[in-house]
Amino acid sequence: MKPVMQWLDDDAGRRALIAAHPESILVSPELPLRANLSVLDNIAMIPEYRENLAYDAAADRAWALLGRVGQTDIAFRRDPDLNHEQRFVAKLLRALVANPPVILVDRPGMLLPDLHYPPYLENLLARLEDLPNDCWILDYRWNAPLYPSR
Amino acid sequence: MAFLTPFLTRRGAGLLGTWRIWRDTGRLAGRTLVTACTPSAYNRATRDVVMKQIYFTAWQILPTFTLFAALLAYVLIQIVVTTAANYGLSEFALEVSVRMLVLEILPLLTALFVALRSSSAINTEVALMKIHGEIEALEDAGVDTLRLELMPRVIGGVVSVLALVTVSSALTLVLAYVAVYGPQLWSLPDFSRVMAKVFDAQIMLGLLLKTLAFGLAVTVIPVAEGLATPRKLFMAPVSVLRGMVRLFFVLMLIEMLSLAYKYI
Repeated sequence: MKPVMQWLDDDAGRRALIAAHPESILVSPELPLRANLSVLDNIAMIPEYRENLAYDAAADRAWALLGRVGQTDIAFRRDPDLNHEQRFVAKLLRALVANPPVILVDRPGMLLPDLHYPPYLENLLARLEDLPNDCWILDYRWNAPLYPSR
Repeated sequence: MAFLTPFLTRRGAGLLGTWRIWRDTGRLAGRTLVTACTPSAYNRATRDVVMKQIYFTAWQILPTFTLFAALLAYVLIQIVVTTAANYGLSEFALEVSVRMLVLEILPLLTALFVALRSSSAINTEVALMKIHGEIEALEDAGVDTLRLELMPRVIGGVVSVLALVTVSSALTLVLAYVAVYGPQLWSLPDFSRVMAKVFDAQIMLGLLLKTLAFGLAVTVIPVAEGLATPRKLFMAPVSVLRGMVRLFFVLMLIEMLSLAYKYI
């Protein structure tokens, strides 16, 4: 899963792009985790519901994903106990476990406000590189200088 | 006329808002009932949530509520038995106690108890889910929130009210027997005759329907009110307040209709 940049000029363009891809799943500051479920349950509930997996199998899948990104220590924490990076990871894995063709990471600057997020995103997505999903990063054009030139 | 137009506009907007919430409550009740009666709506995730809701709404409160209902029932039965004896009407004491407690007080009391304990929590939780966007987040991830989040709460509420009414009523019958006949078994035939007179098919059907209506009301109204909350945090307490007031009136309306049907 390699990042593909989608540069945005304004909010209207962002909304139009999201609306044009209904098959995608959003990782967005406006779409929070279920506050009364742990990170593990937030991720596991998606395959449990969509694929009718037994809870144990779904939780195993969620645990394996958390292990791949080195975040198993947040598995039993709930949303208010997470920092921005941990919350972002949980949201990303919740989207990933649904196996959509495209994951849209919406305004990463709002999701990771305390980080120089481009290298963080690159490192995180590199750990999930073998997965077949596309990951589009929706960021405003004026943030382009933050990203390393390729 | 100048003052009349804004007044009527405000009134009209208020009336439309009230109409909308009742319409949405009716729609939600219909959709939930249809979904709950559709076997394909249940998968492992849904069943897990239904079990959790039944545990939290019914099982967890069963001992406390049963103890409370038993104490209240015993006190009320003693009052009826003593008063009936004072007026020389002891032969009616059992029937009056059972009619008063099992048919009227216990179902309403159970519904009010579940409303205070669970409906306010459900209203708050759904309102906060709506305000924070958790419902949209789940829908975006391909989860039908009606099936996974809302229907299990309604099933939990209905099962809870049914179970608590059944258990407390059964216990009340035992207490009524003991209060009227004393701790012995040879008056069971007399007891059975009175029970058969009280619980005919029509009364049983009425009791079942009333209890189901209570169970639906204590969950559908708070869920609908929670879903209707505007996405502003300060509206959460307003939503719970409105939900609880509407729930109170609906419970009283159900009880009044039931009384009117039976006694008028």
